[in-house]
Amino acid sequence: MWKKLSLRTRLTILYAGLLALLLTILGVTFFIDTRNLLIENTASHIRATAKPIIEHWLYGENLSSQAIEGTKKKPDSKYLKKISRQLARDLTSRNVVAIVLDKNGKVIANGKVLEEEPAPVSPNPFYYRRAFSGENEVTYILSTDNKNVLVLLIPLRSAPGSDHVLGVVQLSSPLTPVERILYRHGLTLAVGTLITLILGTALGLLLISSALSELRHMIATCQSITEGRMDQRVHLPQRSDEVGQLAQAFNRMVERLEASFSAQRRFVASAAHELRTPLTALRGSLEVLMRGAQDDPATVAHLCHGMYREVLRLSKLCEELLDLAKLEISENVQKEKVVLKEFVNEFEEQARVLSQEREISILEGPSVSLKADPNMLKQILFDLLQNALQHTGRNGRIALGWKLGDNGVDIWVEDNGHGILAEDLPHIFEPFYQGKKVSECGEHHKGSGLGLTLVKAMVEAHGGSIEVRSEVNRGTTFLIKLPFE
Amino acid sequence: MTENGFDTSCGASSGTRILVIEDEDTITEFLKTGLKYEGYQVTIAKDGVTGVDCAREMEPDLIILDIMLPDKDGFEVCRRIRRRDSDVPILMLTAKKEISDKVKGLDVGADDYLTKPFSFEELLARIRALLRRSGRAVDSTELRVVDIVLNTETREVYKGGKKVSLTPTEFSLLELFMRHPRRVFTRETLLNRIWGYDYAGDTNIVDVHISHLRDKIGDKPPCLIRTHYGVGYAFYPGEGK
Repeated sequence: MWKKLSLRTRLTILYAGLLALLLTILGVTFFIDTRNLLIENTASHIRATAKPIIEHWLYGENLSSQAIEGTKKKPDSKYLKKISRQLARDLTSRNVVAIVLDKNGKVIANGKVLEEEPAPVSPNPFYYRRAFSGENEVTYILSTDNKNVLVLLIPLRSAPGSDHVLGVVQLSSPLTPVERILYRHGLTLAVGTLITLILGTALGLLLISSALSELRHMIATCQSITEGRMDQRVHLPQRSDEVGQLAQAFNRMVERLEASFSAQRRFVASAAHELRTPLTALRGSLEVLMRGAQDDPATVAHLCHGMYREVLRLSKLCEELLDLAKLEISENVQKEKVVLKEFVNEFEEQARVLSQEREISILEGPSVSLKADPNMLKQILFDLLQNALQHTGRNGRIALGWKLGDNGVDIWVEDNGHGILAEDLPHIFEPFYQGKKVSECGEHHKGSGLGLTLVKAMVEAHGGSIEVRSEVNRGTTFLIKLPFE
Repeated sequence: MTENGFDTSCGASSGTRILVIEDEDTITEFLKTGLKYEGYQVTIAKDGVTGVDCAREMEPDLIILDIMLPDKDGFEVCRRIRRRDSDVPILMLTAKKEISDKVKGLDVGADDYLTKPFSFEELLARIRALLRRSGRAVDSTELRVVDIVLNTETREVYKGGKKVSLTPTEFSLLELFMRHPRRVFTRETLLNRIWGYDYAGDTNIVDVHISHLRDKIGDKPPCLIRTHYGVGYAFYPGEGK
């Protein structure tokens, strides 16, 4: 049942419950404290008023004047009985009524005379005994009918501080004024609590709703993304709380997904496009042959030659697609220690064979070794060399070198060819990307369009990065940054 | 229709000039060979600039234009050609299947498009249709040779005014011969063109159908359809008279 409620309802109920509990505890504590304070205050006030009156009657001039010369100046039961009426009367006021009890707990005097004075309550033997045994502060509240009465008992001692108790004065005062104050207080507290609770709950509901509405917005966005609309984003007003962070993280995630999806789509589209040209040539040539060209040996040879070229192109494309897929599926990098100087020297020999008339120079850097897959490293350098060869004329110059970079080795391959247009530069690592000007030196180079893509993939599989700088008609430099490990 | 009949009946009238603007060597090779075999005069331009120049100089009857060219895209080339010559039919070759490309192609003035890889036969059909629409080639529906009249629309054949009833295969054979007079067709070629590229039967079937056809049109020596021993068959309309 609880779990079936929406998060918003649950949070609101919890919030309101907690708020109510807290306010109630606070209110009750405050109420009880106030009540105790008021009662104590009343009690000590009554005691303070009573004290000089009692002392006056028990130990004052009255006693000296009444005492018989030569006997001890101490009040006794007889004396108490004598003064009890006046004592009770003096202690009685509009709010307080006093009665005097003797050592047996019998009422010997009642202070109430006037009509408006409160009636005394009958003494409670339990409290009486406590007071009679010498306890000073015996105070209790007696609830009769619907009235609460504060009852104070004061032992009457034969001398100040003496253990000998002659009797007890019981002062009783109705708590009506205190209760009136407490009632007002309680009412204020209750109304305040209720208002706070309502306002708090409303505010909480608002906060929870606003926090959750953005979650709901995100859910809706998720759903439309699931339906294939990858361009959807969560738009939230600038906020830096958890919801804002979640939204940002979510948007970043979708952005990456979208980028990788669209890269994949572009790749597939370009791959299909790249397959179309050889397929068109093959299909067309075959049809032409079958429609009659097969009867002319020269034409057959000519068309067959072209078809063979296209088949080779398809095979190469196929291989490269597979390589790329392989790279993307598992980074099958098998690292081992490569001493760069030895490695480049070995590469140089093979590079010279490839480059024919072009000049190749090696600029040796510091002797370092790094952990890398030697086959891939060789493939990377060969592909970059191939690229340089394709973009330089017959007397082109190609330089290869390395230096220490931050935290690794920087290897560069530089040519003085005709360069890459600035607008093409950001795209040259995309699969099948063909620049606006494929070639300027007349020769028609048709790579598969995957060479540099593969180079980048291989460099990145090593945890490295590749950069390119190029100036039209000045040349191109590829810089590979590889980490030591 | 001209008086002597057979000149114009050379279906793809031998004077029709086609300009191919395409940079892929293998594609231009087969287009050139194939279209020549169909009786067209073919000129190749390997980039857009050359293509525009050629279009201006040679005034072709039809242009086949690839969208992906090394120097500029085919749309631009098409627009430039159209600026000079509003008439010439332009058939665009596109590697993309996107509708937007096709629409754009038609917008800049192309008359038709084909998606790579296309069938050569379909290309021929489109070329014929474009030429017919533009009224440049007399690709007639009625072929006349001597006293034989063949109507490609009604698929009826008359010999000396009398209707001859032919099977579809015999009709296709006769149409092929009448469209390509004097050209020698091997049995394999005839099989491929009439029975289809994937027909895997014996070539003897060609001889059987030719023999039936000769009977039906009353072909007597000197025959219209002549056998080249060890090679195949050819159609000689002039000598038949």
